Amino acid sequence: MSFDAARTVKSEALLPNPLLAWREIDGAIVIISPEDSVVHELNPTASFIWKQLNSNHSTGEIAQQLADEFEVSRETALADTKELLESLAGMRLLCAADRRKGSVHV
Amino acid sequence: METIERSALSRKDAPPRRELAIEIGQIPLHLKFADSAHLEKASARYRVFSGSREKGLPIWVDSRQNPQSKDSTFSYTLNSATVDLRKDGAQFSGVPHEYSLDSLIRILLSKMLLTRSGFLLHAATVMRDGQAHIFTGQSGAGKSTVASLSPIGSVLTDEISLLRNLDNSWQAFGTPFWGEFHAGDLNERAPIAGIYSLIQAKEDRVERLSTRDALRAILPNILFFSSKQEDNAQLLTILTQALQAIPVYQLYFQRHAEFWEVLK
Repeated sequence: MSFDAARTVKSEALLPNPLLAWREIDGAIVIISPEDSVVHELNPTASFIWKQLNSNHSTGEIAQQLADEFEVSRETALADTKELLESLAGMRLLCAADRRKGSVHV
Repeated sequence: METIERSALSRKDAPPRRELAIEIGQIPLHLKFADSAHLEKASARYRVFSGSREKGLPIWVDSRQNPQSKDSTFSYTLNSATVDLRKDGAQFSGVPHEYSLDSLIRILLSKMLLTRSGFLLHAATVMRDGQAHIFTGQSGAGKSTVASLSPIGSVLTDEISLLRNLDNSWQAFGTPFWGEFHAGDLNERAPIAGIYSLIQAKEDRVERLSTRDALRAILPNILFFSSKQEDNAQLLTILTQALQAIPVYQLYFQRHAEFWEVLK
């Protein structure tokens, strides 16, 4: 398995962390992390991707929708999607799909 | 005659009732003290917030430590004192003094308000023309200054405000929670005209905030202690509803009472 392929598999296994509370406000996703009371506010691109994640879309599907929505090339959208997913996972806003127990949308 | 004397004796021998019924933000609480010293101080502090014994959530207050209940739905420890909320009531244990009791009541209310469409906010609330104006900010932002510049009898609190949605109307309530541990003496409520996030400046002006900017401005000033996901989700829902209904402003103000001019 190549490095890129591994990254794709990893990204597709990520979903919003069920321990978080989040809500869409004025088009942006606002997330509260109850553990440490930290508040995150996602930018438009990240908010778009977050909503797609909750609809169980794959990384490829999300990138395609991102390309359509923001009028960028599919390659650029895919790279941005992967980068954002890794960034959100690094902040523990996403977790592996098999650890997710339920929806957190309020 | 004999019956009356016996009855009087049995009353004399019975342990005194160390109970106090209070009501804050229309939430009745029935405090039951193990220590009479606690009762005396609490009775003085919450004298204008008296409520009904029958309706109030029973709260057992003890200076000793007690084990957490198995049926606990919410628990929080502040220093050595603990709030333990169950379905049938609450236990405050390890309560050394009235300051601790006051803190535990605030912690308990922050949880109880989740099911009552309300929340606690670090803010001064001032009534003017029958409406409540809420001035929020962290320590040093100017809450006490705003309160001190307002007429006596118009300040519902200078430190912690209680906001609730009652019958589709957001209301601010007087609270006993004041800075410097003053006891609040205005148990009234009023419909909320606006929330103002304070910034001290060299001019007086206001800027209306979007719902998202309003949330960003007030979230750091919310009193909230639960780490449960569902509680935080509920809080976020209540705050969003509140901020969509109540106008929120950034208030740049000088330390003088003329700032009211820009709120008209």
